[in-house]
Amino acid sequence: MNLKKSSSPNQIKTASSIEPPNSQLPPKVAALSPTEWLKANLFSNTFNSILTILSTAAILLIIRGLLSFIFNPLRQWSATATNMRLLMTQAYPEHQYARIWVSLGFLLFLTGVSLAFWRAARSVLVSQVGKRLLAIGAFILLVTLLAPFSDRATIIWLAIGVFIAGTGFLLKSAQEDKTISSMTLLSGTFLLAILSLWVIPYGHHSYISTRTPKILAEPGTVAMTTKLPWTIMLAVTICSYFLGSLIRDKIDESKGKALLSMTWLISPLFLLFLVLRDPDFDTGHLFSTDIPIFLFFSIVGSLLLLWLTNPDIGEKGRVISTAVLFVGFATFLFQMLMIVRILTLVLAFFALAAPTFSGQKPARIRYTKVWIGTMVILCWLITAINTPSTAKVPGDFFIGGFAITLMIFFFTMVLAFPLGVLLALARTSKFPIFRMVSTTFIEFIRGVPLITILIFFSVMVPLFLPDGMDLTEIAAVTIAFIIFEAAYLAENVRGGLQSVTRGQHEAAEAVGMTNAQKTFFIVLPQALRVAIPPMVGQIIATFKETGLLAIIGIFDFLYIARSVIPGQTEYMGSTRENLLFVSLVYLVICFAMSKASQRVEKRVGLGER
Amino acid sequence: MTENETASSIRGDRDLANAQDIIVCEGVSKWFGDFQALNNVSATIKEQEVVVVLGPSGSGKSTWIRCINRLEQHQEGRIMVDGVELSNDLRNIEKVRSEVGMVFQMFNLFPHLTVRDNISLAPIWVRKKPRAEAEEQASSLLERVGIPEQADKFPGQLSGGQQQRVAIARALAMEPKIMLFDEPTSALDPEMIKEVLDVMKELALSGMTMMVVTHEMGFAKEVADKIMFMEGGQIVEIGTPEHFFTNPTEERTKLFLSQIL
Repeated sequence: MNLKKSSSPNQIKTASSIEPPNSQLPPKVAALSPTEWLKANLFSNTFNSILTILSTAAILLIIRGLLSFIFNPLRQWSATATNMRLLMTQAYPEHQYARIWVSLGFLLFLTGVSLAFWRAARSVLVSQVGKRLLAIGAFILLVTLLAPFSDRATIIWLAIGVFIAGTGFLLKSAQEDKTISSMTLLSGTFLLAILSLWVIPYGHHSYISTRTPKILAEPGTVAMTTKLPWTIMLAVTICSYFLGSLIRDKIDESKGKALLSMTWLISPLFLLFLVLRDPDFDTGHLFSTDIPIFLFFSIVGSLLLLWLTNPDIGEKGRVISTAVLFVGFATFLFQMLMIVRILTLVLAFFALAAPTFSGQKPARIRYTKVWIGTMVILCWLITAINTPSTAKVPGDFFIGGFAITLMIFFFTMVLAFPLGVLLALARTSKFPIFRMVSTTFIEFIRGVPLITILIFFSVMVPLFLPDGMDLTEIAAVTIAFIIFEAAYLAENVRGGLQSVTRGQHEAAEAVGMTNAQKTFFIVLPQALRVAIPPMVGQIIATFKETGLLAIIGIFDFLYIARSVIPGQTEYMGSTRENLLFVSLVYLVICFAMSKASQRVEKRVGLGER
Repeated sequence: MTENETASSIRGDRDLANAQDIIVCEGVSKWFGDFQALNNVSATIKEQEVVVVLGPSGSGKSTWIRCINRLEQHQEGRIMVDGVELSNDLRNIEKVRSEVGMVFQMFNLFPHLTVRDNISLAPIWVRKKPRAEAEEQASSLLERVGIPEQADKFPGQLSGGQQQRVAIARALAMEPKIMLFDEPTSALDPEMIKEVLDVMKELALSGMTMMVVTHEMGFAKEVADKIMFMEGGQIVEIGTPEHFFTNPTEERTKLFLSQIL
């Protein structure tokens, strides 16, 4: 009875707001008032009301528990603050620390330009921002009331909450069509956060690594070595965004995007091996061996590929490229430089793919350019890896902490993705031998826990290596991650491959495409688009799985938080604080990744309908 | 001059009697498991001829037409297309496929590529044409099928009739000698059938060799040089449209016509 009564005014409202029949717009549904909304969504019947009350109580209790953990005077939050550098980069040399900032700055520069090129900015309704602020303000008020603050802190936090909620309330009633760019909002938020570093006394913490390490923790604003670089980083990001929007309108956008994607793929290698590692190049060796090898392969390879991409070459070309492949395998039987073996195999791969990409002169020259580009990157990378580092740090690698987590994650993704695609193609191939090898590999890897593979690679594999071959633990573990993730990605891609209809295969075959062309131009683009959501899930899982490095004793983010910092005399027993901080960082990054992937999904769905 | 008169006059110009055989099937048989889909099919199609294949569903029409560019493999008999015999040799298949265009019932456009890229992809990578030339050709083909303004859209944004016309343009871009149509109008709304049939008529008038599986009797009457009637995997009757629709000899043809007309 009661329900009926309350719903009748609603119906009248809806009926009265129906526009005249000749209008093109759908009738507007009147918005519910807050009390009506509460009634409709939270207290619609007795059972729902009980559920609402119970779950509200549970949520409040959980928040209260978390807050009393965080703000307990026993917590040593200065352990996290003081050891921030240790957490991020482990013991990277103090006097070289500018290299870290340069690398971060370059990545942020790329981020800014990319945000502009991919038009990440959206316009957000100001009234919507107001609502958001109102909610944030209310949440701060709630937290303040629940948290065990001192009187003074309570008053300050209540004032902040009221201020934010008040701003939100004012903005909420802004004009309906007034919008603001999401980039302005985002940079404004970061600007406020970084300004606060200069003004608000968070406390001055630093870890001075002299001969006897000294820990500094005193009141005041944060250390100059923190606030100054971060201010510069923010400036770099904002400037590069504006620069990106300027360039975007001047040049061919798709070319710019391709260039940016390439830079994203290559720059971490560049930063890692040239900037962070500070390699000690041996000029004599460089000019006597490395550069001649590079020149030989680029020139001979270019000529060969120019010849092979001639469409009229026919059988002769296939015979020659198969011969190159055999030479590539044969190099492993003789004593010679590893770089020669690798480059010969890569050349054989390019030669075998040449008929697929053959064509008129511009196409042939483009293919040759891709070859030379690959040569430049490969030769430089191999040389850089073989050159000893001058960054002397404890442990067997020159970075650690969050930086090594990111590095292993990056290498895993960049190398596991192509390997996974190849495995998926092999598993769906017509050739029984490919299918068998790939299926065995995938099922074997998927049947073994990741931690087993990691331990196997870090302990056993170095023992099996032939004489003269050397694999650092980091490299071995990265390979373990790559093969593990490749097996999982392969299954995701296979799902995508199966979603490509038979009609698509037939249409490609009917216009005379070869198998390789069909796969490359028709099947893979469609399969990968379908596979994006599961692959993003896999990527996020990979990021979190890097935490397992802590178990095999690599100085990663988690290991430093769990074992290294609590081992310092000043901060005995500060494990929980550090772990909470680490989980917050993982949470923020994974959440950002999944948000970004949702937008990517929307974008790639554009062409379909 | 009406369109019909144009058709007959151009058809009159073609010297089909002296034309060369371009598709030759001799005793072609095919099984799906235990089910025999094609039973000893023998027929020849001459250059510039327009052949319409009729028959009830499940009679093997589509299977036969798909055997001609080897989307299905026949198990017995011989199929010669433009002097090349279809066998397991991979190179023969690719050569034949680039000479034979095919239009499917479900269009099968590439959904991730724009209309222009759908048409120019194969000429660029299979025919090895320079990109600029291939895109120019795509534009002129779109003009020919009557939708030049849709070049930069994706297939999903077009109507069924427009999609099928793009599919025809895609097949034509390879400059084929033969065009195969596998029920090109069966998945279309009635008001879109005409626009596709008009394009096919124009193509027939231009002298393309065509083999069409369809249920459009009007098209068969007006355009076909020869009608082949299939049932149970066999060719039951071959004849001109006049003969087929007015005076069929076989009992099964009469039954079929009585059911559809």
